[in-house]
Amino acid sequence: MQPIKQISDEAIVEQTRSSDQELYAILVERYQHKLLRYAQNLIHDEHKATDVVQESFIKAFINLQGFDTKKKFSSWIYRIVHNEAMNSIKKHQKEISLPEDFEFASSENIEADFEQQEIAEAVQTRLKELPIIYAEPLALRYLEEKTYEEISDILRLPIGTVATRINRAKVLMKHLCQSH
Amino acid sequence: MSEPLNDITKHVMGRIHTEQIKMRPRLYFILGSLATFVGLVMSILASVFLLSFIKLSLHGGGKMAEYKMDELLSHFSWWGPSIALASLLLGIWLLRQYEFSYKKNFILIVIGFILAIVAASFILDMSGLNEVMLQRSLFNSSFPV
Repeated sequence: MQPIKQISDEAIVEQTRSSDQELYAILVERYQHKLLRYAQNLIHDEHKATDVVQESFIKAFINLQGFDTKKKFSSWIYRIVHNEAMNSIKKHQKEISLPEDFEFASSENIEADFEQQEIAEAVQTRLKELPIIYAEPLALRYLEEKTYEEISDILRLPIGTVATRINRAKVLMKHLCQSH
Repeated sequence: MSEPLNDITKHVMGRIHTEQIKMRPRLYFILGSLATFVGLVMSILASVFLLSFIKLSLHGGGKMAEYKMDELLSHFSWWGPSIALASLLLGIWLLRQYEFSYKKNFILIVIGFILAIVAASFILDMSGLNEVMLQRSLFNSSFPV
């Protein structure tokens, strides 16, 4: 028999729905750390983030028969957390807005100026200062290490829009870092 | 494992063990997809006939035009759009319960939907099928068996 670590998420989903519901605990344990970090980066409140992740796992379990095992479980569960987090934000939080006179300059040298490591560090500390539409793709890219395609699946945005938002987020992040 | 994480696993699995939460049956999702599909097909059919009807009203001059229009309206199968609307609403309601699942390109779906309607009504108009159906319905109502 294959060790549990080597079994794919999708295979576990298949077994959970057909024979053993206990296996769902493996999926919860596999993703709870990552999802809690992701939710905290969106909500900035540990208790609310915990509720969001908990509720997301419950919704995912209820709708497990609707999951297409040919697709990635990780994108599916991130999408559920995204929806729950957005609902929670709408309920509790005000949106952070950009200054009215802010303009996005050309981002030609952003990547060179602002290397991967620096971006990851800046993202960790300054994420909550960004509007959510930029903060979320940036967190998924640099903290959750998702590909553009996965981010596009999770946020239901075209890949081009994801790329634009990440670029703009980097511009904003650079401005934030320079102004502090 | 930290306390909140421990709580998440305990809480989720606890609710599964005590059967407070249950998986929705596969049939639920099949029904949702089926209702949406039927709704879409019926909407396309209803829209094709409505479009064809509008075209007829636009270039249907002459003394008989008004009469033709009244006949068409009275013989139009209104149950078609009704079923289409009901199926669409039911399908969307069922699917919204798990709408977070996959990315859908709604712009492509809408464009495809409109193109299908226009193409089908154009073909219907070219083939003269709507005229044949109209004449048949006029004939049947004029000479009831």
